[in-house]
Amino acid sequence: MKQFSLILLSSLLIAGCSNLDRSRDLANQNVRPEVTARQLCSDCHGVDGNSVSPNFPKLAGQQEEYLVKQLQSFRHGDRASEQSYQYMWGMTATLTDEQIKGLAHYYNQHVIKLSLSKETDRILLAKGKEIFENGIPAKQSPACKLCHGAVGEGMATIPRIAGQHAAYLVRQLVIFQENAGRPGTPMESVTHGLSAAEMDSVASYLQALGV
Amino acid sequence: MVSTQRIDAYVSQALVSLAILSALGIGFIFSKSASALPLFARQTGQSCLACHAGGQFPELTPYGRLFKLTGYTQGVRTDIPLAVMAVASYAKVSSYNGSDSSGVDFPRDGTANITTASVFCCGKITDNIGVFAQYTHDLWASQDASGSWQEHSHIDQVDIRYSDRFIDESHDFIYGLSLNNNPGVTDVWNTHNSAFAPVSSYVPAGNAIFSSSALPHDVPATPILEGLQYSAGLSGYFYLNNALYAEVGTYKASTSGLSFLHDAGVGGPGALSTRLSGSFNPYLRLAANHDWNANSLMLGIHALHASVFDDATLINSNSYSTFNDIGMDGQYQYLLDPHALTLLFSFTHENQNYSGYQHTANSFNPSDTLNYLRAKITYVFRARYGASLAYTQAQGSSDLGIYGASPAANTQANLSFNHSPDSKLWVPEVFVMPVQNIRVGLQYFKWSQFLGGHTYTYYSGLGTPSSRDASDNNLAFLYVWLAY
Repeated sequence: MKQFSLILLSSLLIAGCSNLDRSRDLANQNVRPEVTARQLCSDCHGVDGNSVSPNFPKLAGQQEEYLVKQLQSFRHGDRASEQSYQYMWGMTATLTDEQIKGLAHYYNQHVIKLSLSKETDRILLAKGKEIFENGIPAKQSPACKLCHGAVGEGMATIPRIAGQHAAYLVRQLVIFQENAGRPGTPMESVTHGLSAAEMDSVASYLQALGV
Repeated sequence: MVSTQRIDAYVSQALVSLAILSALGIGFIFSKSASALPLFARQTGQSCLACHAGGQFPELTPYGRLFKLTGYTQGVRTDIPLAVMAVASYAKVSSYNGSDSSGVDFPRDGTANITTASVFCCGKITDNIGVFAQYTHDLWASQDASGSWQEHSHIDQVDIRYSDRFIDESHDFIYGLSLNNNPGVTDVWNTHNSAFAPVSSYVPAGNAIFSSSALPHDVPATPILEGLQYSAGLSGYFYLNNALYAEVGTYKASTSGLSFLHDAGVGGPGALSTRLSGSFNPYLRLAANHDWNANSLMLGIHALHASVFDDATLINSNSYSTFNDIGMDGQYQYLLDPHALTLLFSFTHENQNYSGYQHTANSFNPSDTLNYLRAKITYVFRARYGASLAYTQAQGSSDLGIYGASPAANTQANLSFNHSPDSKLWVPEVFVMPVQNIRVGLQYFKWSQFLGGHTYTYYSGLGTPSSRDASDNNLAFLYVWLAY
C-alpha cells in the first residue's frame, strides 16, 4: 500500500509537467500533429485513420489537400452539416494551419483498409459500379470516376472515396443533395436526381473498392 | 506486517495529496475559451451525443468511454469550469391505500416541484488530471417535526483522475488512478453502479417528493455495491487496445481528512459509508470489449468485499458484518446516426454474513443472500426522441429482522408481510430533447412485486398496521431536466 501511495504521488508530480509526447491539449501548438492524431483523433477515426464505426470517415490514404480544406472548413464553420457541428467544430476550433497540415499529412501517409462488408448482393454492386463508371445520363448525374479518379482514389481537393464506409458516403450524398451544410462543391447538382437506392448501391460498391 | 492503522494513514495521505494537488490545479483553469454547452461539451467543443449515446445521459459512446478513461482531459480547459443541472418534476402515485392521511404520507404527490439542482466541476485540470465532481442541492430534502420542508446541500458524485495514454499503430494502453466516493462511479459502461443507475437517474432520491419510506421509487433491497456512496475510494485501472479493461480499488470510511467526500446529512455519523472497517474493502472490475462496424459489445464481471461495523458506536470494535458481492454485466450498443440503441444488464449475487451483534440485534438469520438484476433497453432517434424500458429485480433469503413484519408505532415503513426482499420493478419511459440541454420525460414505475407481495405500513395517526399491495406503489413521473 505504501508503494502504491508513492507511485500515485510520483505520478502526480510527473503530471505537473506537460508531456508533449502524450498530450491531449488541442490548444497547445507545440504538440506534434501525430501526437494529436493518436491521442485524440484516433478515438473516432482509428490510430491509423481506419475508423471502425461507419459514423466516422476513414482518413487513411485520404488526399492531403482535401483534408486540409475540410479541417479549415470545420474550423471556420463553413462545413456546417449536423455532424460537422456536433463532432468537428470544437475539435478544430483552436487548430493552426500548421497543425492542420501536419494532421493531413499524417493520415495521407497511412493505407486504407477495406472493411468487411456484409453486402454480398452482386446486383447491387453491379448497379453501383455502373453509376461509378458511367453515371446516370437520364438524371444528368455524371460518372463518379470523372472527378474522383478511375479507381476512386481522388485528387488534390477531390476526396478519395474508394474503401470509404458506405454509411458515411450515403450520409454525405444526402447532405449534398439536400444542400445541408457542404457548400462550394458541384455535388449538389451531381446528386440532384439520385434515389436512395442508387446512393446505396454506389456507396456499397465504393466501400468494397480496393485501391 | 503493516498494521491496519498504518495502512489507513498511508491511504489517507495519498487521497488527501491527490485532492490537494487537484485543487491546486484548479487555480490554472481560468484562461481559455468557452462556448454555450455544459462543461465537458464546452471543453471539447462537441455536442452531448459525441460522448452520450443518442445525446442522452448516462450511457456513454465508445468515444465517451475514452474521454472518461483519459481522465476528462481531452480538449481545452474552459474559462469557467462549471456546469449546472436542475430537475423539475410532477409525480402521481397509484393509490393512497393504507394511509389514513394522504396529505401527510404523500405530501408532494400531485404537485409540480423544482426538485433538485446540481453544480458540476471541473473537467480538464492538466494534461493528465481531470475532475468530475457534483454538488447537489435538494429543495425538499426532509420535513421537520412541524412539517416544514428542509433544504439540503451536499457533495454528490466525485471522481478525480490521473491518467496517461501510450498509443501507436500497434497498441493502445490507457492507465489511470481515481480518487472517488462511490464504487463504480469510475466505470464507463454504467451497468452495475449506483452512481449512474440506469433506472432512476432522473428521479430525485430520498424524500424529495414523498416520504421515502412510504413510497419507494427503486427496489429497496440492494447489494452493498449500490450503497457505498460517500465512502472514500482509490482505484487503479487500465484499458488495453479497446478490448480489455481492468480496475482494482479499495474503499474506506470517509472520515477525518476524507470527510469532504461524504454528505454530512445523508452520509453523516452512523451512515454506511462512515462505518467501513479498515482500508481494505476491495473492488474489482474486469471487462472485455469489442467494437465492430457500428456495434459495441462488452461483457464483464464486478466484485466487492466490504466489512462494515454494525453501528456507529461499534467502530473499531470486532463487531462487523461482511458483504461479498460478485456479478456479471454486459452492454450492447448500435450507434449509427440517426439511431442509438443501448442494451445493458447487470446481475449481482451477494452473501451477507452478520456479526454476532448484528444477528442478535437486527437480522433473524446469521447470514442472508441477495440476487440483484438490472436490465435496460434504450433507443434514441436523431438525438431527440427516445424511449426506454428498464427492469430491476431483487430476490433473496427471507429475514424477519431485515425485511420485517411488524412496524414500530408511529413510524412509516414498508415491511414485508412474508419477510421477503423479493421485488420486481418495470420502468417504461418516453422522452424528447427539443435541444440537447433540455429533456422532458415521462416514466411509469410499475411494481409487479414489492417486498414479497403486499407490505405492512404504519402511517402516522393510525393505531394498527395497514397494508399496501405492490401495485399501490405504481407511479407516474413527469420530469423536465435542464443542463447548462
